[in-house]
Amino acid sequence: MKTKHLGLASLLLGASALATPALADVNIGLLNGITGGAAAMAPEITKSLQFAVDQINEQGGVLQGEKLVGIMADDGCSPQVAADAATKLVNVSQVIGVVGPLCSGALMAAVNSATIPAGVILISQAATSPEITTLKDNDLVFRTIPSDEYQGQALARTLLDRGTKKVAVSFINNDYGKGIAEAFKKEYEAKGGEIAGYEAHEENKSSYRADLAGLAQGGADTLVLLDYGDTSGLTVLREAIENGFFEKFVGAEGMKTSAPVKAIGADNLTTFMASAPVSTKSEALDIFNKAFAEAGGDINASYVGPSYDAVFLLALAIEKAGGDKSKLSESLRAVSNGEGEPILPGEWKKAKELITAGKAIDYKGASGELNFDANGDVPGSYALFKVAGDDWAVETEMK
Amino acid sequence: MDMHSFINFFLLPGIVQGSIYALGAIGITLVFAIMRYGHFAHGDLATFGAFIALAFTTVLGLSPYAALPLAVLATGVFAVALDRLFYAHLRAMPKIITTIASFGVALMLRSFVQVVWGVNTTSYTRGITRPENWFGIRVKSHEIVTLLVAIALVVALHLFLTRNKWGKAMRAMSDNPELALFSGVDNGKVIALTWIIAGGLCAASGFFLGLNTELKSLMGWNILLPTFAAAILGGVGRIEGAIVGGLIVGIAEELSVLVIPGEYKVMSAFGILLLVLLFRPTGLFRGKVL
Amino acid sequence: MEWITVLNYPVYLAIFICIYGCLAIGLNIQWGYAGLFNAGVAGFFAIGAYASAILTSPWAEGRLGGFDLPFPVGLVGAMLLAGLLAWPIGKICLRFRSDYLAIVTIGVAEGIRLVARSEEWLTNSARGISAIPRPFGDLPYAKAQLVYLGITALILLVAYVLVQRQAVSPWGRMMRAIRDNESAAQAMGKDVPYRRLEAFILGSALMGLAGALYVHLARTITPDAIDPMLITFLVWIMVILGGAGNNRGVLLGAIIVWVIWSTSEIVTDQLPSEYALKAKYGRMFLIGLLLQLVLRFRPEGILPEKLRKESREERPMGEQASATQATGNIIN
Repeated sequence: MKTKHLGLASLLLGASALATPALADVNIGLLNGITGGAAAMAPEITKSLQFAVDQINEQGGVLQGEKLVGIMADDGCSPQVAADAATKLVNVSQVIGVVGPLCSGALMAAVNSATIPAGVILISQAATSPEITTLKDNDLVFRTIPSDEYQGQALARTLLDRGTKKVAVSFINNDYGKGIAEAFKKEYEAKGGEIAGYEAHEENKSSYRADLAGLAQGGADTLVLLDYGDTSGLTVLREAIENGFFEKFVGAEGMKTSAPVKAIGADNLTTFMASAPVSTKSEALDIFNKAFAEAGGDINASYVGPSYDAVFLLALAIEKAGGDKSKLSESLRAVSNGEGEPILPGEWKKAKELITAGKAIDYKGASGELNFDANGDVPGSYALFKVAGDDWAVETEMK
Repeated sequence: MDMHSFINFFLLPGIVQGSIYALGAIGITLVFAIMRYGHFAHGDLATFGAFIALAFTTVLGLSPYAALPLAVLATGVFAVALDRLFYAHLRAMPKIITTIASFGVALMLRSFVQVVWGVNTTSYTRGITRPENWFGIRVKSHEIVTLLVAIALVVALHLFLTRNKWGKAMRAMSDNPELALFSGVDNGKVIALTWIIAGGLCAASGFFLGLNTELKSLMGWNILLPTFAAAILGGVGRIEGAIVGGLIVGIAEELSVLVIPGEYKVMSAFGILLLVLLFRPTGLFRGKVL
Repeated sequence: MEWITVLNYPVYLAIFICIYGCLAIGLNIQWGYAGLFNAGVAGFFAIGAYASAILTSPWAEGRLGGFDLPFPVGLVGAMLLAGLLAWPIGKICLRFRSDYLAIVTIGVAEGIRLVARSEEWLTNSARGISAIPRPFGDLPYAKAQLVYLGITALILLVAYVLVQRQAVSPWGRMMRAIRDNESAAQAMGKDVPYRRLEAFILGSALMGLAGALYVHLARTITPDAIDPMLITFLVWIMVILGGAGNNRGVLLGAIIVWVIWSTSEIVTDQLPSEYALKAKYGRMFLIGLLLQLVLRFRPEGILPEKLRKESREERPMGEQASATQATGNIIN
């Protein structure tokens, strides 16, 4: 039986040897939803993360010229997988900070079981659940994406402004759907709108016609559909259009994917709009879009801007803290609190020089100003998109 | 609610969904009756069949309807191969071992689909088909096709089982395997035949599920429970039972929204299953109880 | 860096092995001893996890509890509730052959997931329950992990010893008799349905216990954590590979399967993302294939059930069996 122990030990050693790169590198963890519910978005997000890491290394790396190494791990969009992956990043790869994960449930498990107890900072670029705002996190959890709370509210106000006073709401029965639907309902009713039908639906059913018929009985002509465009959201949308249950359709960023456009066709989607967080038009965004497109990325893909910003901010914080893990949160706030010399995407070298000279800097990201509030959240700006050709185009900005 | 919307939004979707369940349930009931185990890879075999049809449309450029017979045939042959590879050598062991093996096969089929076709949702055709209006009854063309093909398959199967020599052998095996073997029925051939039929029908159910909605790697796993419920409700070993059971489960799922919250819709099949096991384990048509 | 942090990952692996060990012993009681096919392990795991979470977490607006009770109360509550749920299911299904139990337990696991997702007042629905306490969780990370490993290992050991004592007692022999020849056991006056129900409830209670141990490790639970693939299927592989009917065997199975499963992920994550995705699903394919290979070439598992052999064969084999037992002790 001794051999079994040896075998186990060598397996473990082998695994850690594989995952621990040479010394003098600074490791950061990249928790990405390679499998699971967010898998469709992962490839472009990966590109964006890697693009940020490469850019930083090309411009001199971090600290004394050490290489920044992004260690990719899969969050599976699932709590267990994410907790397991985060534990490995923290303990096997010895990362100083983590970017990700993509899904809110995965984030809750990863931070509670691994990163917060281990005192490791985590910046998510896509987990939008309002629950994360109130997390007891010892100031270790940040987001470069605004909470759904804001988006639900903004969507409610925008619809009322556009004269839609009565809607039915159908949402996917998970943390995303429920979170945003509740925020929407509260704001919409408070501002005088009428919710004529409000129901959750389960993913993975083949027909939603009965559900839709029930919602349509309330007499609203607009359906607010808070779901994902490549799972049940697509089925619901298709059946609602085919059977004429509603005339107009409004989704949130989960619906703003290429799947509905591809599957249903732009001609049938003239009355369909979807809100999504946008980077307010800025110099920073233009710079990022140009550089990312040149590197072969798709600038319209979801979460690429926030992903880039998360890596860049984490690297700035590492630089500012001089590689001291315990000072990262403080440093992260210092490099993006709105005071100091503005730093735009790609200006790593400049930022590094300023930090070395002891000057204050303020990162202005592709996805916005990114001034974190006390909960580690950022305010959001959103736009309502409509389908144009085979892609999405901004219909109106949202307030 | 008026009559038309009841038929359009509850009854018709239920019948279409029910015939998809029925096609799968026939296979389950056949395997149950002839080989005497529950085949839990049936849902994922349906996924596999649906994606094989997709491959025929994308690679050979066929229309979905032309791809259907090819996919049915391919999946039938594939099911025989599955049996030879993974189930055949377990026949001497307790039957439940084969049921466990079928779970493993389900996992393998699903991951195969995920590796080859990925995890994103796709569909056979682009665009939407608005339903045609027949005196207020709104029905889509592919729903009509689903029903017609399902009926045709069931009639053909019925004729085969009652008129053909091999069909009769299958029924004999189902009724009394020892006696059938005694009177010279070739066990191996009957089993292969059963798998061709079960696999083919399975592919048809997966295809129609994909045609009426979308294709995704978990689509078959999600209909496993209602399909099993349909087979047990009809009575294990009863083809006609599987059809009636499938329709009842399909319609009950749609109607359930009237009385229970939408998120529990998927549990209506489970409720039916429990009721059957409690009050009439032989099913509606007095099938076997294992 | 402290020496202790080097151990963090092995410790974490070991905690999970203990949790899966509990699940595997629970399933072993059901399948190994009583021949019951429970395909809804994840459901009983979830019941335990939620029960303990609600009992021990601090009071929260809008959902049941939390009752802020001590950790041991959470564990006991988890076992009781999981056992209580198993009772009606067993009542309905154990009259039939195990295929029916399998399909019903799949439905039960799905139903539990739906309830956890939908019932705001009970489980805080999709957002789940957080701020679940962990005993000695306020210690520094590495020490807290070590202490928690100690707790889970102790609980697993107690469970193992108790179950093992039952298994070698007349009760264990009777269960095997019922499994292998139901009518003979019935003829000998054994209350077959009652005994089966007993095994089903006992096994389910252990699965609930595993859920509670998991939830205090993760400190948060959401409905997505009830993943039939990760929980049910891996446990089945552990039991079949390790050797159904042998508690040491299933524990060995838990060690082997979890170590391979967890460490292989480190390798697949290093691949470029388009291959990483395929490698992930390929890994599941291999797990499915592993099951087929075990069933084909070593259906009795790595450490086969011992008592059967002793009773079937004569002395020399009996001695061999006690040798296996000795080596088995080293593993544990």
